[in-house]
Amino acid sequence: MNIIKSFIKLLPEEEALAHCDIPCGIYDPYVAQRAAHTILRMTQLLTDIKSGDPKKMAHDITRMTQVKEEHVELLEEELETLRNDYFKDEHFKTYANLNELFNKTLKAASKARQEINMDVAQEVLVGTQDIAEIFFKTKNVQPFRVKSVYPTGGEIVLHK
Amino acid sequence: MTLLAKFKVIGHSMEPEIKNDETVLATNIFYWFKRPKIGDIVAFREAGGILVKRITKIQDGNYFLAGDNQQDSLDSRKFGLIPREKIIGKIIYKQ
Repeated sequence: MNIIKSFIKLLPEEEALAHCDIPCGIYDPYVAQRAAHTILRMTQLLTDIKSGDPKKMAHDITRMTQVKEEHVELLEEELETLRNDYFKDEHFKTYANLNELFNKTLKAASKARQEINMDVAQEVLVGTQDIAEIFFKTKNVQPFRVKSVYPTGGEIVLHK
Repeated sequence: MTLLAKFKVIGHSMEPEIKNDETVLATNIFYWFKRPKIGDIVAFREAGGILVKRITKIQDGNYFLAGDNQQDSLDSRKFGLIPREKIIGKIIYKQ
């Protein structure tokens, strides 16, 4: 036993963290939906941008693209939090399409970064809404869709 | 391919199984023959550092890792599912 302990002592040692946070248990698909609407709105604005003063165009495109990027980042973080932390095995069993829905929506989000594509931005929003509906169902509340008050004109999923 | 690695664990998230400041050994040998499974405590690389957590869920070949001490643990929520290649090895010994 002493030989083993001596051998272990000779091994180089690194630090491994077992650090701290408090899982709060508070989850909500609202932020992801708002981010999806923002991605759609920025894509709309980028699609409709009028040619004019090149300096102003470059300025506007940069700002819109930055906001689009930031909201894709936010959406990805929110969806990954729901997928990795909130949804459990039983949810993925009950809603057999849920994992595929996450994959599809996150891939579309990635594409929404790369392109100015309304169909893709719409796909991100639809996927996020479908995930939100499933989320509320797992909470045993009835989801419903209302027209958002955003300029995108799309819907938002709430619960009763 | 880690035959044997020694770590000093800093933090309380794996208590009572592994206490703060304990030394552990990790090996990858078991995972040459079979995949990591739910319940294994593993050391893995993430965000430029090394962490020690327990596998609590496996999804599409990726691993969700969480601390035993739920009141005091950083879990996969903060870094997403961990792919197999980030796992250094299974914790096999502590002192």
